Amino acid sequence: MTAQLLDVIDLETRLQSQSPQEILGFALEQFDNIGISFSGAEDVVLVDMAWKINKDIKVFSLDTGRLHAETYQYIDRVRDHYGIQIDVLFPDTEQVQTLVREKGLFSFYKDDHKECCGIRKIGPLRKKLLTLDAWITGQRRDQSPGTRAAIPVIQDDRAFARSGDKLTKFNPLANWTSAQVWHYIRSNNVPYNPLHDRGFISIGCEPCTRPVGPGQHEREGRWWWEEATMKECGLHAVNLNDKP
Amino acid sequence: MKITMVKKILADGSPCKKCGEVEQKMLEAGHFDRIDEVLIADERDLASPGMLLAGELAVDRAPFFLVEEAGKPPLVYTVYLKFVKEILNQATEEKDELKEILDNNPDLDFL
Repeated sequence: MTAQLLDVIDLETRLQSQSPQEILGFALEQFDNIGISFSGAEDVVLVDMAWKINKDIKVFSLDTGRLHAETYQYIDRVRDHYGIQIDVLFPDTEQVQTLVREKGLFSFYKDDHKECCGIRKIGPLRKKLLTLDAWITGQRRDQSPGTRAAIPVIQDDRAFARSGDKLTKFNPLANWTSAQVWHYIRSNNVPYNPLHDRGFISIGCEPCTRPVGPGQHEREGRWWWEEATMKECGLHAVNLNDKP
Repeated sequence: MKITMVKKILADGSPCKKCGEVEQKMLEAGHFDRIDEVLIADERDLASPGMLLAGELAVDRAPFFLVEEAGKPPLVYTVYLKFVKEILNQATEEKDELKEILDNNPDLDFL
């Protein structure tokens, strides 16, 4: 089956009730040219699950140049543990230099994080995704009630698709909670980023990530100086799902 | 070629801010004349033409653009700058495109 033949609406209904392993199995069976996005955090469960299905999985990771030293060491540890290649992607040098020259190294504290994230993450991600037919992320609904509450298990990724072509995005962990992820990590002796033992739940770039305390949502550990914003552009999901 | 733009009215009856900004940019660039039809996705009305089209195309955001051309599969654009670059042949700054992608997909910054 090719990407063009996949009806993501019907598949979403079918896959919603399936386990992350079943969703991953489906994704890896349908697509040869598929990559797993690994952030260097608890989404390692995807690598573990996928590796148990197919040892030749393709994994990529976005190196923004601002990650914690522990995360870099951890990415290498995962590479060694599973004996896989991890394609580490770097931002465009000229764009980073221009940003730093014009706004300094910590512009995200003054403006917002989007310009920096755009250059350091989204640019290299887009370049990578232009080479793939499908990709897999560790995005979960419980990570951010504001921005991830409606994440589907499978979706047509129109933002990153090649012109006139299809790109399919799988979010096998969409319906899992953080507790389920950590139960899996412990039960399966999956290597994890040591920053988690120091109170970091969500792990991103060093200047934009901090540990959170008991009862705090993991979102509070990222870009804490910015006000939470509503998802302006979304069409109300309930309306779409309830269409006649 | 037929280009349809879908813009949104929010559940509280107010117009979508981003849709207004995009429309203004298109007017200033002289691109709005290229739009053959504008449909409204009214979140208060499931049967509004824009909501029906969004449902049919499995699009979950607005504004978006549908490009139809005889003999070719329809194209859907949810990123405005990608649309103007690929369909209207307007030069765009990559950093602006990347920022728009992130603005429209705030879930991506967790990657």
